[in-house]
Amino acid sequence: MASGAITLIGFEKVWKSYGHGEARVHALAGVDLAIRRGEFVAIMGPSGSGKSTAMNIIGCLDTPTAGTYSFEGIDAGRLDRNRRAVLRNLYVGFVFQGYNLLPRTTAAENVELPLIYRGVRARERRSLAMQALAEVGLVGREHHTPAELSGGQQQRVAIARAIVTRPTLLVADEPTGNLDTARTHEIMELLTQLNSELGLTIAMVTHEADVAGYAQRTIRFLDGHVASDTANLEMA
Amino acid sequence: MIWETVRLSLRSIRRNVLRSFLTLLGIVIGVAAVIAMLTIGSGTTEKVKSDISKLGSNLLVIRSGRPAGPGGPGGLDQVVRPLGDKDLAALVAHLDGARAVSPASQKQVRVIFGTESLTSGVTGTDSAYLDARDWKLVSGRPFSDSETRSGTGACLIGETVRQQFFGAGDPEGEIIRVNRTSCKIIGLLEPKGYTGFGQDQDNVVLMPLAAYQRRIAGNRDIESIYVAADDRTPTTVLQQRVEDILRDTRRITPDRDDDFSIRDMTQIADAMASATTTMTGMLGAVAGVSLLVGGIGIMNIMLVSVTERTREIGIRLAIGAHEKHILIQFLVEATVLSLLGGIIGILIGLALAGLASVTLTIPFAPSPAVILLAVGFSALIGMVFGFFPALRGARLDPIDALRHE
Repeated sequence: MASGAITLIGFEKVWKSYGHGEARVHALAGVDLAIRRGEFVAIMGPSGSGKSTAMNIIGCLDTPTAGTYSFEGIDAGRLDRNRRAVLRNLYVGFVFQGYNLLPRTTAAENVELPLIYRGVRARERRSLAMQALAEVGLVGREHHTPAELSGGQQQRVAIARAIVTRPTLLVADEPTGNLDTARTHEIMELLTQLNSELGLTIAMVTHEADVAGYAQRTIRFLDGHVASDTANLEMA
Repeated sequence: MIWETVRLSLRSIRRNVLRSFLTLLGIVIGVAAVIAMLTIGSGTTEKVKSDISKLGSNLLVIRSGRPAGPGGPGGLDQVVRPLGDKDLAALVAHLDGARAVSPASQKQVRVIFGTESLTSGVTGTDSAYLDARDWKLVSGRPFSDSETRSGTGACLIGETVRQQFFGAGDPEGEIIRVNRTSCKIIGLLEPKGYTGFGQDQDNVVLMPLAAYQRRIAGNRDIESIYVAADDRTPTTVLQQRVEDILRDTRRITPDRDDDFSIRDMTQIADAMASATTTMTGMLGAVAGVSLLVGGIGIMNIMLVSVTERTREIGIRLAIGAHEKHILIQFLVEATVLSLLGGIIGILIGLALAGLASVTLTIPFAPSPAVILLAVGFSALIGMVFGFFPALRGARLDPIDALRHE
């Protein structure tokens, strides 16, 4: 990580606008932003501030209307949907507030899912999935369906699914939003550990200050601009 | 990857068993109808062909009226002159190479015994008829020449007539009423079963031609004359001889066409077989419409499925599924669904055809080609009608799809 490619994510004058004419709304209004490889960044801001839009662009789910978004040195903002799908499959893991596991599908099968789209063979898929589930502390729960797991356990399955492909970036959208304090703490410890042990870059949206406190850096959005970008002293 | 997708689609079909089944019903009914129709149809054709060969390909049938052909039989320019005793007598006297020559006039007539009644095919003929048609008697005796000539009320009956009136009992010597005249049973015909068209060949009564003409037809006409060729004479040769004799007897000048027709049984067989094929084709087309309806049902349910699983599609797209992956997933699901319907339909269709072959006593003739075609066609229906819903799923925006509740 000492190489020249220290910057993983770069926004240059990024605009994201919706609608036309009078009704035109700018979700992002010329945002400049850089996230380094291996960073754990919390993104905060009230609803409508543009943080979700920024996260969608970071996760290569969306593209800017104007400006440049580069990811891994690739001009990801100009790629078509299928190329972005490949990019996501290779480099990005997603964790959502509502877990978003496939219902009536076992933990192991959920974790295998991204590997299927990579064309990994069944046997190897299964062993990688088991390994990822072990890493998030779910040994013995591999064959449970989401309905048979607690919220915290479901989120661990989701994290296992996100890291099974060994991504560069983990995009977490309010990962603890549905969890109680104890479970929140456990999940955040897990993310911190993945960040430090695997060197996984994490971009996490949250509206809770203590959750943001686990990150090394907090970026606050307001009205489509970056309002503040500060290092978290206690973690630094 | 494909196997994975097939497993996935089977699971999603199992999850909604009732709904999947109802969706399939259209395809099931359509395929079952097609398979049953075509299988019964080809069984019927086989039956017709074997019936005809049983009748003997060496049999000629002569009727009055111009030969069927381009322009159709008969015509308004010519009064149809019926066949008569003179024609028959000429053939009997002068025709070489014939094993049997026999007149036959036929009508559907109500036959009564005691309080029972039955509508039967009553044929007026002579003693040579059994030989010409190659029919046999189980018991009793054929008409004597004197019975034929005098027009005595003597009858030969088929098995169906016996069962209707006498059950398993011996009918000989009993008197039945045929169209208000009485008729003594002198013999029982060997059972022959149904024709390919489901016509009961055993629901027949034979009586002397003279009796038939006097008591039933009310005239001296002969509807048709059967001529059976002997083993040494080809039917084409015999046909020419018959034509020469009849033209002479009927005094037809060389500048005029025949006012009678001579057909051999293979021609009749071909005509019947082609009628069967046409009917089968038409019924098949009707069944095809129900397949179309089934396909629309599949499309409908796949649209529902895509909508229900929008969030799942969102997840799959987010973690790196291509459009084509989603497209294939739903296409495979639709195909598996309709293929399943097709297979169930084939089984039901074959069962129906089997049942029909037992009740109609026609051969059970399932065609592997037709079954393969049905499998292929139902898969095709799934693909065609699944494509639009699948495309809709594949084109979803992952962000919107993930937000979908």
